[in-house]
Amino acid sequence: MATLGRHIINIDLFTDAYRISGRTQVGTSGLLSELNNPNTDYLDLEDAYVSRIHEPGKIIANYSEASFRKTNINFIILKDRRDGTVVGTTHARSIYSRGRPVEVFLTIPSFEITGEIMHDGKAEPSTILVHTLGHFQPVFQATASAALFPDISYTGDLFLVYKDRIAIFCLKSHLS
Amino acid sequence: MAKVLIVDDDAQLLHMVGMMLERGGHTPVLVEEPELALQRIQEEMPDAVIVDVMMPTMSGHDLTRELREMEAFEDLPVLVLTARSQAVDREAALESGANDYLSKPVVPKELMEHLDNLLNQPPKAPGRMTISLFSLRGGVGRTTLAVNLAAALRRVSQEEVCLVDLSPSSGQAAMHLRLQARHTWADLPSVNQLDWSNVKSHLLMHQSGLRLLAAPPEPQLPIAPSGELTTAVLEILRENVAFTIVDLPPLFNPAVQTALEMSDMLLHVVTPEVVSVQIALQSVKAIGKAEIAVKQKAFILNQVTNERQLPAAAVNKGLKTRVAFDVGYDPNQARALAQGVPLSLTPAKSALPATTKRMAGGLWERTGGRAQRDEASDQQQA
Repeated sequence: MATLGRHIINIDLFTDAYRISGRTQVGTSGLLSELNNPNTDYLDLEDAYVSRIHEPGKIIANYSEASFRKTNINFIILKDRRDGTVVGTTHARSIYSRGRPVEVFLTIPSFEITGEIMHDGKAEPSTILVHTLGHFQPVFQATASAALFPDISYTGDLFLVYKDRIAIFCLKSHLS
Repeated sequence: MAKVLIVDDDAQLLHMVGMMLERGGHTPVLVEEPELALQRIQEEMPDAVIVDVMMPTMSGHDLTRELREMEAFEDLPVLVLTARSQAVDREAALESGANDYLSKPVVPKELMEHLDNLLNQPPKAPGRMTISLFSLRGGVGRTTLAVNLAAALRRVSQEEVCLVDLSPSSGQAAMHLRLQARHTWADLPSVNQLDWSNVKSHLLMHQSGLRLLAAPPEPQLPIAPSGELTTAVLEILRENVAFTIVDLPPLFNPAVQTALEMSDMLLHVVTPEVVSVQIALQSVKAIGKAEIAVKQKAFILNQVTNERQLPAAAVNKGLKTRVAFDVGYDPNQARALAQGVPLSLTPAKSALPATTKRMAGGLWERTGGRAQRDEASDQQQA
């Protein structure tokens, strides 16, 4: 049950070998604030349904409560960016959605991700990652493809990618 | 207005979807415990089911799979409504047997559109069926029954019906229909060249529209059709005609065994006499020993003379099962044979046409054909 000022959102969370679908409570500033909350190393989920990455449609287990160590989360998919960050208004964008869209390609264990990052200033891979606050990098309108199972892919309005897990990070202009 | 059963362990969402359906003019039936859903579906007989995927005691996929295994609900429209919104989730839903998929959160308009599409889907084409008539004892009236059943099916369904006479020689089905066996199964090309067009060109056509794949009429050195040829012919017929009735010779050769294996229904013909019952029992053992998986079987007690050696109760006791159909002696059959018109195509109300028409009606209904025609006729009237 959500408490005052908080609401429940559905998320898809990915570790190295598993996809976990479930619900979590967030405040008005969205999931990114919860992930960047220094008071806890864990993210709690309600009604967690577990699938293996190579059979993502098949549910192998479910639990009413689950906790995930943030450092072991590879990325999280959100259907709506407003569940993840404060998007801001027409006049004032939030820190995560400010700037111009930069198309990126990045890899994390088991997945390749493409999408857009909002960035102010000179677009260089190292500066983008350093300048983004917190441990998770927001990637908008993103697609993740399983590296070993190319037929399996996921899409979402917002991906929150754990930065320490990123092995390759490219900007589209650097790719072409 | 349709009755729609909704299964979701989240009570709030369940009631919300229920309200959406009520506003759309439907009658929702709410089920919060997925493990009770199958029972409620059997009780309520809904027009469609909306099912969540992520439920703790039973996933929506498992529920759909179980539903599809039940004959009565294999065509029941199922819409999966889930918070898992990826392409792989849609695939998983459809693979489990659901007809459609929607991801949460859902807006009423979208839900109603999907549901209306599901409810207005045209019914499937009538199912196709292969029925074999079998007896290892000759002279039990098997061909007479096969011809009359095929003709009655043609009459009741107005669909393509084909009678196949798998006798090695001296085929009698053509004689029953007064057709000249210009082409027979023996003239068919080799298995790898077989297709519907060349099988069709070997079929004889009765005036009723019933097709016949005849057996060679000459009592020459018999050559039985091979198991491969039988498989190929029956597969082609299954794809192209609504009902295939196979008149099996009193043999246990590869062609007969193949036909038994491929049949949706085996009608085992016995006469009310001791030898016939004993041979029927031996036949059942032989079928079991050959590990032939008969999908469904029934005994037909056919009285071919006006003398009954054994009462039906004794036949049942001997066979250790009840005969499904008891066809009394029909003196009109001799005249029908002479005229080449199966009794089931005449207004005669005697035992043989009455039983075969009843069987045909039951089979036609079972494949969904009658329901489809009634619905089409209702729509036309509307």
